[in-house]
Amino acid sequence: MINSSVKTVKLSKQYESTFVLKNISFELPESGLFGILGRNGAGKTTLLAMLMGLVTPSNGQIYIFNKSIDLKKYEILKEINFQSPYVELPKKMTVIQNLIFYSRLYGVLNYNLRIEELSNDLRIKDLLNKNYGTLSSGQKTRVNLVKALLNNPRLLLLDEPTASLDVLTSDFIREYLINFQRKNKSTILITSHNLIEIEKMCSHLIILDEGNIFFKGKLKSLMKENNYSSLKDFFLKNK
Amino acid sequence: MIQRIYALLMRYQNIAFGSFPRLLSIFYWPTVQILFWGFFTNFFMSNGEFGVWSALNIILSAVVLWDVLFRGQLGLTMSFFEELWSRNLPNLFITPLKDIEIVIGLILTSFLRTLLGITPAIFFANFFFNFHLFNLGFFLIFFFFNLIIVGWSVGFVVSGLVLRFGHAFEELAWAIIFMILPFSCVYYPLDSLPNTLQWVANILPTVHIFESMRSILIDNEIINSRILIIITLNSFYLFCSIIFFLNMIKVSRKKGLLFNQGE
Repeated sequence: MINSSVKTVKLSKQYESTFVLKNISFELPESGLFGILGRNGAGKTTLLAMLMGLVTPSNGQIYIFNKSIDLKKYEILKEINFQSPYVELPKKMTVIQNLIFYSRLYGVLNYNLRIEELSNDLRIKDLLNKNYGTLSSGQKTRVNLVKALLNNPRLLLLDEPTASLDVLTSDFIREYLINFQRKNKSTILITSHNLIEIEKMCSHLIILDEGNIFFKGKLKSLMKENNYSSLKDFFLKNK
Repeated sequence: MIQRIYALLMRYQNIAFGSFPRLLSIFYWPTVQILFWGFFTNFFMSNGEFGVWSALNIILSAVVLWDVLFRGQLGLTMSFFEELWSRNLPNLFITPLKDIEIVIGLILTSFLRTLLGITPAIFFANFFFNFHLFNLGFFLIFFFFNLIIVGWSVGFVVSGLVLRFGHAFEELAWAIIFMILPFSCVYYPLDSLPNTLQWVANILPTVHIFESMRSILIDNEIINSRILIIITLNSFYLFCSIIFFLNMIKVSRKKGLLFNQGE
């Protein structure tokens, strides 16, 4: 059996009469940085939500690390994590309280050590005792990322990971994620509207269009075979 | 200026009349107040033989016990609403935390919050009013647990409705307990209600709890059949409310609602 991190088989999601995803099948190998692209409403967030068990598919199957999410959901959830600027942590708790809370939910051993390590790496040490609700958007993004790395996830799902960050911090976070992936041989799945970010980070892409897979494969192949100069060029030519 | 004030009026009208629970909240308070004080006055007008202190003792016991129910329900719903207001639900539901563990967590949190909130009230009442809630003995604990269970049952239903239908149903968290107040016979006996309403009241465990409380405080008598009814009704309602709440989580997953909740 091939070791895949994510596999979907004829996956569909329908809300009343609207199909958000239509019979999509793809398989991602273990280890790597993968981008999911598409216009607004293409189904990117729904796909991520289904991979985490937050949204139940209308049809089709999802396998994470060769385990069916229907059958082994809680086993799978121990090994994945997620970050999005649109999902926050409890506002009335301090950053450290939030991180301890999530460490416990994930069953992280020696969580104090893990939090210290990540706080140093992602430069949030001075934020630990502040209330999460008082942080700026950029600070929240970094704290959310620490939360997403607490359980050392084998599969990390990132929705706009550098939203609200300044240029220097964005570069720093991208570098950090690339190194994290290499060091841990993990799988990182990123959705972003920042096409330059995807070009910098991802080797493989899935491009969704109105719930269908428009392209899946290597980023280089997409550019080379169609003579696109950049992903922006691709989207402009495929309006 | 008129245009701007009219715009504000329209906005607040849309908020108030835009959803059924909010609309209900405009009408239920006057109705509940009239029903409640009407039954209460009827009872005291026709039972003049009660001494002031006995009556006060019964009323204070009822106030404290009713608050157990209210705190129990609020403790559960507010803990759950915190997750909604914080836009934290997706983070919570992608951890290995099982749905039933959320239920247990909410129950324990509510229990501790209620215990913490109600203890000073009991001691203050004891100190200032020569209050004899402890005359209920073991049954004080029994009533406490059963009232808090009623609060949990209501809390799970409200939380499930808010999860499924959105924030408009938050109004119910404050209102629903007071909707059942007149029928719960907290401050007056079941006989004070008209016959038709007695039938409705009998399916509420609260009625049997407060009737039992009065029979212990006034007649020093324990009615075993009522105790059995309390346990049966409460077990049934708690079981149904938890199933309802878990089912609402399932429906929310199907409808993609867990991702979009928030202030």
